[in-house]
Amino acid sequence: MRFSLKYLSLLLLLCAVFMLAPPLTSKAETRQSTAQEPEQYVQTRLLPEYGAIQPGQEIWVGIEQSIYPHWHTYWVNPGDSGSAARINWSLPEGFEISEFYWPAPTKIPYDPLLNYGYEDHVTLLQKLKAPEILPDGPLKFSADFEVLVCKEECIPEFGTYEFTLNGPNAQDENNHDYLLEARASLPIKTDWSVFYGEVDGQLTLDFSQARDLDLTGIDLNTLAFFPLEWGVIDNPQPVQASPDNGALTLSQARGDRALSAVGNIEGVLTFSAPDGKRQAAQFTAKPAATMASALSEPTSKATSGSINNALPKTTFISALIFALLGGIVLNLMPCVFPVLSIKALSLVKIAEKHPEQARMHGLSYTGGVILSFLAIAGALIALKMTGAEIGWGFQLQNPLVVGLLAYLLFIIGLNLSGMFEFGANLTNIGGKLTQKRNDKSHGYSNSFFTGVLATLVATPCTAPFMGVAIGFALLQPAIVSLTIFAALGFGLALPYLLLSVLPSLQHIMPKPGAWMEIFKQLLAFPMYASAAWLVWVLSQQAGSMGTIGALMGMIAIAFGIWLLAHKPKNQNLRIFVIILAAISFLGAVKLLPSGGEQSQTTQQQSVRAFGEVFSNEALESALSTNDPVFVEMTAAWCITCKVNHAAAININSTKALFAEKNVRFLIGDWTNQDPKITQYLDLFGRNGVPLYVYYGAPDANGIRPAPKILPQILTPSMVADTINT
Amino acid sequence: MKKLTQLLGAFMLLIAMPAHAAPVVGETAPDFMTTDIHGNAFKLSDHKGKIVVLEWTNHKCPFVIKHYRSGNMQATQKAAAAIDGVEWISIVSSAPGKQGNVDAKEAQKIVDDQGATITAKILDPSGAIGKLYAAKTTPHMFVIDTQGTLAYAGAIDDKSSPSPKTIKGAKNYVLAALDNLTTGQPVETPQTMPYGCAVKY
Repeated sequence: MRFSLKYLSLLLLLCAVFMLAPPLTSKAETRQSTAQEPEQYVQTRLLPEYGAIQPGQEIWVGIEQSIYPHWHTYWVNPGDSGSAARINWSLPEGFEISEFYWPAPTKIPYDPLLNYGYEDHVTLLQKLKAPEILPDGPLKFSADFEVLVCKEECIPEFGTYEFTLNGPNAQDENNHDYLLEARASLPIKTDWSVFYGEVDGQLTLDFSQARDLDLTGIDLNTLAFFPLEWGVIDNPQPVQASPDNGALTLSQARGDRALSAVGNIEGVLTFSAPDGKRQAAQFTAKPAATMASALSEPTSKATSGSINNALPKTTFISALIFALLGGIVLNLMPCVFPVLSIKALSLVKIAEKHPEQARMHGLSYTGGVILSFLAIAGALIALKMTGAEIGWGFQLQNPLVVGLLAYLLFIIGLNLSGMFEFGANLTNIGGKLTQKRNDKSHGYSNSFFTGVLATLVATPCTAPFMGVAIGFALLQPAIVSLTIFAALGFGLALPYLLLSVLPSLQHIMPKPGAWMEIFKQLLAFPMYASAAWLVWVLSQQAGSMGTIGALMGMIAIAFGIWLLAHKPKNQNLRIFVIILAAISFLGAVKLLPSGGEQSQTTQQQSVRAFGEVFSNEALESALSTNDPVFVEMTAAWCITCKVNHAAAININSTKALFAEKNVRFLIGDWTNQDPKITQYLDLFGRNGVPLYVYYGAPDANGIRPAPKILPQILTPSMVADTINT
Repeated sequence: MKKLTQLLGAFMLLIAMPAHAAPVVGETAPDFMTTDIHGNAFKLSDHKGKIVVLEWTNHKCPFVIKHYRSGNMQATQKAAAAIDGVEWISIVSSAPGKQGNVDAKEAQKIVDDQGATITAKILDPSGAIGKLYAAKTTPHMFVIDTQGTLAYAGAIDDKSSPSPKTIKGAKNYVLAALDNLTTGQPVETPQTMPYGCAVKY
């Protein structure tokens, strides 16, 4: 410390002179302990980096606090109580001084509260800049400094401090090295891409895109997070660090301030480096997306805290209604409709003679649908509990499942075309019309399995109302989730169920007759079309080898079915034919690509034709421009997504509008599993595609309006209206 | 069956009361029942139809001193009292042996010395009410509207300095909220960061 003694004593003298009267009197009251208490709990010094300054030069100024043992002062965000230090400068003309640079704080608990601050010793820093034209002679700088110092009780201390630059002893004064040391405790400013969100009442910070963050050898227990913003976390709660393949995610219980009122969250991350030194890095966490204000009620700003406020106001009841409606709409999907219409026609025939059997069929079918939904949902919830980043539609992210579904639709098509009839023990689709029913169960199990089948073929078609309901469902406790999925299944089963119990509805149905055989054959074509589309999905996932495998597999299946339909009378030949058919079926399955191999390149190419490939970096770089940003989340297996894309986005008028308004267009492809996209969907309370998000251009202050979510059924005018307003 | 419903009721209560739930602005303010320093019963939900201001205080905290010695808190109380149907409840959550903990007699003397205009003063040495409201600082202010909804939570004003010099020109959030409520407008600033000494739980 090469600070002149003479100068120091002068400073102390000045401090004493300038101490303000009122706080002195209040201090006398607030101090409860007596005897050895010091005159001041914080000894303050102003330390300019150099004693002399040149025109236009910028130097550091340190505000050094020596704090009485066990007492503390505060960081810029003081935490649950307290107050940050303040300074008010009187500067010679033309000089400018920066805001405080705050060294990384420590956590100071005061049960049940917690503060962020400093103990023992800290040096706040400011940058002082001289004007281009500097007056001659000594320059006097003075500052009113106010600091709150607390142990249990608090004492505000005020003082006015001074220093002189370019004075007679200017060359003797040099605090450069000392301030260098102080500056080492400032957090390093980073340009990390960090995203925050809110999940289950926790603030989560995703550091996966923070490239320079190297956590090798770091004890994660030493990680601490300090937000510069108040109220975003519940300060005394512990922070959880979960490194996942080197990508860090932090989470801590949320504070009582609504995130919608916050914007970006500046924060400091501290940890002990392997050499034991404390490292601190400052970053800006962006809302990977806060909920569109359009979806939340106008009062949402007035409310705070809980996840229900950050997410759209989806209540349990409305989620149930959405699920039910979505289920009903599923009936109209091209892959579901043929199965059901045949089923419905057969039902009418039964109902004519045995209305009570018709009811049983309806109930069996409903049971089959609901149980299948619960099974898929249960698997999804179980997988999510193990930490898998998956969402609704995850079944279709596996090429093997997609291939099997394609086979299934193909087989149903063959059946409808009349190539074969299902045996009594197999899932009975349309065969019931001509089949004699001798078994005592009256084929109820068939109805049950039709329900299972309907659920299976419905999964590729995430119906419009399902996104919100499923997103809500998966954020809830398991029992609530399952209830919502059951409602979805009930919606799917409802039309058939109603038909089975309401004779009046049955009368509306056309009379059965010979035309039904032709109608049945007609319905085979939507099934073939659905199968062809699933093969295309497979080509997105597994490339051309996967496609040819599935096509050859279909031929093998057709061959196997043909073999079985023409079994010879001779016993030995018969066994041979059956074995050959079995080999064909097994071969078909074997020909499908397994879940492991995924073709990233084809997937990327498919979306690059129009728009950019979504990634967190791409989104961030797009958001850092002054252009609006449109994000589309899609998947090859999602029919709604494809229809929307073709009808409302990939059309000339929308393309022209995008070009005119400089809209940055990002497409995320969720055909295969992608945790980044799953997390993005999560931020909007969704768990499936499609998702369309529009970020308007920033206003004059450079602040973007809250992102707007577009409906799951898009029209060109919806896109145009969103962009034009 | 009755047992089952009781059990279910207790379970629902457990769900409804998470450990660290701070009251949410815009939702019903948590109800509490206690007695004031004169032994009069006070139950928040009995005061529906009135606007209730809750003030967490500790007469030895410099921030409380800032607002009382300058006369700012008393002026705020007077302005509130001038509005028909506004009640001002001052609460001390200092634990026994901690700064600001007083008995009823001392509490009344402080009210007299300060010249405070309040409806009731409540001592909460267990900190139960303070924790119910997640009161963090003295002062920490809450305004509850006539429907019993928490309309404002946070600081008394926008100058978090302990210096009394900052009172002049500060925006008084409590008066602003009362003004909004009595003119039937939504509260413009419903939540701010409370500042002051920690509540001495």
